Amino acid sequence: MQLYPLKLVTVVGEAVVMEDIAEKGIELGASGYTLSEVIGHGSRSARNVIDTGGAKTMKLEFVVPSEVAVEILTHVSHEYFEHYAIIAWLSDVSVVRGEQYTRRTGG
Amino acid sequence: MIALPPALLSVALPLVELLGVFSAEQFTRVLDSLERNLLTPIPLCFLLGIVCTRIHGGIKIPKELYLSIAIFLLMSIGFIGGHELAHEYHEHGVSTIWKPALATLVLGCVTPITSYVVLRYLGGMSIADSAGIAAHYGSTSAVTYAVANSFVEQTQHPANSFLPTLVTILECPGIAIALVLGAALSARERAQRSAATGKRAKESKLGEALYEVMTGQSIMLMAGLLVIGFISTLFMDPKGFQPFYDFFQSKGMLFRGLLCIFLLEMGLVAGERLGDLLKVGPFLVAFGIIMPLIHGFFGVWLGHLAGLNLGGCTVLGAIVASASYIAAPPAVRLTLPEANPTYSITAALAITFPFNIAFGIPIYFEMAKWVGAQ
Repeated sequence: MQLYPLKLVTVVGEAVVMEDIAEKGIELGASGYTLSEVIGHGSRSARNVIDTGGAKTMKLEFVVPSEVAVEILTHVSHEYFEHYAIIAWLSDVSVVRGEQYTRRTGG
Repeated sequence: MIALPPALLSVALPLVELLGVFSAEQFTRVLDSLERNLLTPIPLCFLLGIVCTRIHGGIKIPKELYLSIAIFLLMSIGFIGGHELAHEYHEHGVSTIWKPALATLVLGCVTPITSYVVLRYLGGMSIADSAGIAAHYGSTSAVTYAVANSFVEQTQHPANSFLPTLVTILECPGIAIALVLGAALSARERAQRSAATGKRAKESKLGEALYEVMTGQSIMLMAGLLVIGFISTLFMDPKGFQPFYDFFQSKGMLFRGLLCIFLLEMGLVAGERLGDLLKVGPFLVAFGIIMPLIHGFFGVWLGHLAGLNLGGCTVLGAIVASASYIAAPPAVRLTLPEANPTYSITAALAITFPFNIAFGIPIYFEMAKWVGAQ
């Protein structure tokens, strides 16, 4: 079985901006994303107390080639880190059927 | 009567008389109303929720149940409101409705501005924080409406039938005005800053945020069911309509029972927020109590001028005094990211909401009597 080395970009933070980030990720070259509701607490945590759209915490994941990963992380850190409770990280992953993640950028 | 220590009463009564607004007799009447409100299941369930959170008790309301109850409450308010509105319209046309509707619209436009001015200039808060909190206080809380409505029904002074229409009118303009104000002022500030630092100013998400408020669950369900209730009352055979009415109205049983469960959950949530009271400081705590009283008084007074009955003035006062904690927070978060959500949510949810539920509503009731509403 062939495994493809790719990057996993994970963004965790306020639900209110997660869909925008997901759309932007697609625009920057990601072929898809996974969005899930999570529970957590952080240094700027002012959420998870009432079930409204803005109060939830969400986790957004992209599996992308490294250049797209860098673009997504740059976008998130420029646009959202200052005012929103958001964290983001990058990890190396080995992906089955990885060719479909690299289609859009041709990498 | 609430058992206040006599010493406290002997100090409080002359003080109140000195203020010249209420006589001693009126003051005891307010206390009497407070007692009639406080010792009823709805505020007591709220209190139980708070106590439970503080002592780390075991009550847990499943999220899905809480969300389902919210859907039922909003649908019921809208549907019954639409039904009553159809009757009112059938009997009087728009003659009885347009004045209260206009008064509500005016209140919806004024309350965010008064809140902003007080927060910015009296409280010295930042533009974004002032506008963010003002958006919460300009809008309304449907649950406060439900509790106020139950209160006036319990006191045998049911509100005018078209009050749910007024709730939907009040929901949007307050948020819109505060956000436009905040976005415009902070955009100017941001542009100055970006000119200084050479960094590009970020685009505002105002349009998107307002669209989300207008199409959010509370407006869609309440206004949608209002239209459905209105149309089906006018066009449906009353016999065929009855089962729907019975379900949503259910002699108030389902509604009040579910409201107790909902308030229990609100208490659990507000209890968690109590710790944040220390973070927001005394000014915001005072704001969260005094501002509703002022707004509530204007609501009661304008409602009376517009021809609402005693119950109607009370409920209008309560919804004008209330602060939104469902529609406003995400809209503020999107439009004014610099605003600290701890301030606005704590003020709306841990100060103003409990204050209105426990003390505000009976006070607006007495205010309504005082301005001469019947």
